[in-house]
Amino acid sequence: MITFKLNGREVEAEEGQTILQVAQKYNIHIPTLCYHKALSPAGACRLCTVELFDGRRTRLVTSCNYPVWRDMEVRTDTERVIKGRKMIVELLLARCPDVKVLQDLAKEYGIEKPRFKPETNDCILCGLCTRMCEERMGVSAISLTGRGVELKVDTPFHLQSDICRTCGACASVCPTGHIKLEDITGRKPQIIPSEFNRGMGPRKPINIPFPQATPNVPVIDPKTCVHLNTGACKVCQEFCGPGAINFDQKDEIIEIDAGAVILATGFETFDARQKPEYGYGRYPNVITSIEYERILSAGGPFKGHIQRPSDAKEPKRIAWIQCVGSRDASIGCEYCSYVCCMYATKQAMISREHDQEIEPTIFYIDMRAPGKGFERYYNRARTTGGVRYVRSMISRVLEHPQTHDLDLTYVDESGEIQTETFDMVILSVGLRPDPAFLKLAQRLGIKLNRFGFCESQPLDTISTSIPGIFTCGVIQSPKGIPGSVLQGSSAAGAATSFLAEAQGTLVREKIYPKERDITQEEPRIGVFLCDCGINIAGTIDVGKVTEYTKTLPHVVFAREYLFTCSTDSQEEMKAMIEKHRLNRVVVASCSPRTHEPLFQDTIREAGLNKYLFEMANVRDQSSWVHTFEPERATAKAKDLVRMAVARAAKLGPLYEFPFDVVQKGLVIGGGLAGLTAAFTLAEQGFETYLVEQSDQLGGNARALYYTEDGARPAEYVKELINKVKAHPLITVYTQAEVKDYAGHLGEFKSTISVNGRTEEISYGAVIVATGGTEYQPTEYLHGENEHVITQKELERRIALEPESLKEVRNLVMIQCVGCMDEEHPYCSRVCCTAAVKNSLKLKELNPGINIYVLYRDMRTFAFKELSYKKARERGVRFLRYFLRQKPEVAEIDGGLQVKVFDQNLRSEVMLEPDLLVLSAAIRPNPGSKQVADVFKLPLDQDGFFAEAHLKLRPVDFANAGIFLCGLAHMPKFTDEAIAQAKAAASRACTVLSQKQMYVGGAVAQVDSTKCAICLTCVRTCPYNVPRIDEEEGVISIDPAACQGCGNCATACPRGAIEVGHSTDDQFVAKICALY
Amino acid sequence: MIVAKRKPFNEIKELISGSKKILILGCGTCVAVCLAGGEKEVAILASQLKMALGLVNEDVEIDELTIERQCDREFIEEISTKVNVDDYDLILSTACGAGVQLLSDVFDHKVVVPALNTTFIGVAEGPGMWTERCRSCSDCVLADTGGICPVTICAKGLVNGPCGGTRHGKCEIDPEKDCAWTLIYNRLKKLGRLNRMEQALPPKRYSVQQYPAKIVHEAYRRRYE
Repeated sequence: MITFKLNGREVEAEEGQTILQVAQKYNIHIPTLCYHKALSPAGACRLCTVELFDGRRTRLVTSCNYPVWRDMEVRTDTERVIKGRKMIVELLLARCPDVKVLQDLAKEYGIEKPRFKPETNDCILCGLCTRMCEERMGVSAISLTGRGVELKVDTPFHLQSDICRTCGACASVCPTGHIKLEDITGRKPQIIPSEFNRGMGPRKPINIPFPQATPNVPVIDPKTCVHLNTGACKVCQEFCGPGAINFDQKDEIIEIDAGAVILATGFETFDARQKPEYGYGRYPNVITSIEYERILSAGGPFKGHIQRPSDAKEPKRIAWIQCVGSRDASIGCEYCSYVCCMYATKQAMISREHDQEIEPTIFYIDMRAPGKGFERYYNRARTTGGVRYVRSMISRVLEHPQTHDLDLTYVDESGEIQTETFDMVILSVGLRPDPAFLKLAQRLGIKLNRFGFCESQPLDTISTSIPGIFTCGVIQSPKGIPGSVLQGSSAAGAATSFLAEAQGTLVREKIYPKERDITQEEPRIGVFLCDCGINIAGTIDVGKVTEYTKTLPHVVFAREYLFTCSTDSQEEMKAMIEKHRLNRVVVASCSPRTHEPLFQDTIREAGLNKYLFEMANVRDQSSWVHTFEPERATAKAKDLVRMAVARAAKLGPLYEFPFDVVQKGLVIGGGLAGLTAAFTLAEQGFETYLVEQSDQLGGNARALYYTEDGARPAEYVKELINKVKAHPLITVYTQAEVKDYAGHLGEFKSTISVNGRTEEISYGAVIVATGGTEYQPTEYLHGENEHVITQKELERRIALEPESLKEVRNLVMIQCVGCMDEEHPYCSRVCCTAAVKNSLKLKELNPGINIYVLYRDMRTFAFKELSYKKARERGVRFLRYFLRQKPEVAEIDGGLQVKVFDQNLRSEVMLEPDLLVLSAAIRPNPGSKQVADVFKLPLDQDGFFAEAHLKLRPVDFANAGIFLCGLAHMPKFTDEAIAQAKAAASRACTVLSQKQMYVGGAVAQVDSTKCAICLTCVRTCPYNVPRIDEEEGVISIDPAACQGCGNCATACPRGAIEVGHSTDDQFVAKICALY
Repeated sequence: MIVAKRKPFNEIKELISGSKKILILGCGTCVAVCLAGGEKEVAILASQLKMALGLVNEDVEIDELTIERQCDREFIEEISTKVNVDDYDLILSTACGAGVQLLSDVFDHKVVVPALNTTFIGVAEGPGMWTERCRSCSDCVLADTGGICPVTICAKGLVNGPCGGTRHGKCEIDPEKDCAWTLIYNRLKKLGRLNRMEQALPPKRYSVQQYPAKIVHEAYRRRYE
């Protein structure tokens, strides 16, 4: 260790370090041009000159290559130094007047115009490129040639080099942009295409593959890394502060003992090259939807700017072609990919949001919008959204070779052939199982269907052909986000049930020391300031901020760390708390979202209450957003730290209280979903109450005799009822209703009325499965003519009275009865498939029968498309009608007459059916309203329950501890209802499996001396927590139920409510500290 | 409950002009509940005034205090245990008119000004919304009108209605307002008491309404004789 004086300050350095290295360590700025961390110092530019006093005299030396020695004295900012640097900059600027770095330096040193004759060069002869090529790349393709004024960077004999590897390292270090690869080599440099941006942008050999990558750390691509291919380079090692670069890492084989496996390998999109008629891969402006998704993204290759690939122009006319690689027998993909209709609609809408002048057109076969809220969104896109929908399959795309515009030819609704020109064409590519999955499946020996998706049993979508191996997501069948999420929960639940015995055996509990009582102590605040590598220290002078922090009131400790979140820093934090008797801790680093829980855990380990912690977000709020204004960013960081310290002084401990979880479940609704949920809970070992409103279990499933894929729900549910009734852990109440509820997650109480008498129950989680009913049509003579029946009745007759249908010669089905109209703008999801399956069955029973299905859009999604295809092959006729031209049904001479305008034939068709079948909508169960009122749960516009998040939380309610499944959520198929019920049970188990939970902490507290029971908080709380305490005459807020959102505290007109950890005095102190 | 509304800010600024030290006195009952004069509104008003006066460099000191009720002497007298009223040039009260007057009576050597306009006796329809329901006419007819007050809700205060100006359940004076008598009719019909409408009510006894009104409870009569 050597000590010497740097700008008057005693500093420490290692033997062999240069002055510049030491100065950088102490955050002392010395300008450089030819210095590079990974290269040997050249001392070429002389800009880093400093003044050295050796005890007798002073002289100027270049700091980049001058080694330190004991007791030397160095000054970096003397007049002599500045004068010398100014002259260097002035000379360089005269040589290269257009170079940005020199212009900036000139500004810094106050040079307006050099006094010397300006030249036109742009090479400052720093030699970074030649040193990089020689020292690091080991190639020496270029070097400094000539002498004196002739000195320049060049290849031998000024010829294009044969040995250059086109790595581009020389160009990447050149500070002026002088180096051009084409001057050096004849080979064209290839960019490394970014996989995440689908090849539309470059990436580096070291990169984070995609923003959600877990763990979120960079990886070195062995294919493109210069070191791993040639043994040279290793530049990255010089830059990585913590020394995390490891070139020797090899693929490892890790063996895991597992009792169950869940396959969730996802999908790949269809390779559009297999449809050469669309020109993907040949025409630059034909792209796939997933590429377009990246273009739309603000983090995408063009930063969210919509431009076409051929010429970067903003496209105005954009066409989407649907069903590319779906519903297509010619490539062996007959199934429907489910998601494309909606993602195309979404992309079209977002395009319009980016640029109102874009005219999106979607060419489609059937618009499939069978998910929750989808039909409304589609209607919005079509009407006010400005998206044009054309029902026509495009057979080819033609390109104008000069403009790269694209011609599409289609048949419009009136049967005319039209040709239109578009600026860009987007192919809505379908979903395929990941090719790697096919190999994995083979190795595991699980059965796949003929398209390579996991073959699942009817009604059991998560099991595979091997017990203990489960599946979820698109590899089971094409599906959207909510379907994948709930199937994920479902598979997790199934795996847990499978492993019920071993549950909890590998869990280790963490023990914390007893908390120190600090309430009588004066605040003693410790501040830990983070460099975050260069993330913060690259812009903010953290050293200065640290010195400043030491002057703040109550601060007894402040220190700068390279990474506050690293393990050794955490150890030091604990040690410092101990050493300085700290009772409040402030970390000035990143967002609390990243590391607050980690730091809180650390201070708990040191015996402090976790609420005695505060963060100053100097990275996201200062260094990242003010990168180009380091001084002001430093000033702002000081402000942020001062504010955090002011608040910290006011922090107090808060306590969370344990309570015993009531490890019992309540399921409301005894239909298929409710039964499945109750049975799943009971199988996991939890006592369960099942409350059914009617006098029978089974619900709608009792009348579902068969499905298109060969299941028999009616039989299945009968068996399930027996299993539920026989299960020792399930108590079934029929003709019962939940009357009220109190309590919170983990500890609810309700009164249920059963057949007139009441009973009190307590439970830890609720599953709502109140189901739905078939709409009873009042249109199309239903109820007036006995030959007009619903699809459900038809199914009953097919199953139970097949003889009665043998005589039927003509049968008409009308789809979308009671939905997809103005009053009920939602799709009932199952009716198209029901019509198809019943048609097929009828054709089997009675091959001579004529079946006409009057439809709007056939929504037989995923593998249900195969049944639709089969029905067409069997001769079922599908006639398409418009909403504005609904079929007309009349009774003439005792017979039925159906008049419909067939949009495909473009003419009116008259049908005289013996039997008219109405595909009636699914409505929510009227009982849902009562349950919604009791539990204060939200319903959507159609009366179905509104889940916490349409996409990401499809089985949760916003209210903690309450879950949802079945038709009560939205119309769905039996297998979907079962999967959702298992998912809801699995979510409920996350609560029930805990013996103890903690409540309180940062929650609202009422000052009862101030409360005027004005009810403002009662009306404001989104979770209905505040209750009137009639005995005390004030409002009380249950700390266990309170979510700590703070809405009540801000609304309270008497200021009687405060939320712990967000109290007025804390925030007033914080704000006052700013001014 | 008494419902009030804060005066326009500029008017309040006008009312306090010239004072150097001000006490803003909140009331924790009716006007707190209608989000006009409780602790929070007092704090907001104080901050607004400080900022507005600060902008024109006026050096005014503003203190805040909220008491339970300003319509009871005992609560007002408590003020003196918390602050010295004589320190202030002016008291800005966020109570209803009754509170402001009693405050002036108790501190009759101090300037007391109101920060609110007292508006009506009413009910909360939902968070942040109140409607008038009672004119305190001293002669209640609600028994005959299905619990809907024609004196308050009918624009003309008719006790026998409807008049010829009812239009599709709305009032001719303002098509946004419900016709009280249509509401009364529907309510009575629902209650099966339509026969109540067949008999005309006697003219309203406006004589019982005295200004200013005064009530002495029977049990306390001797005390005030």
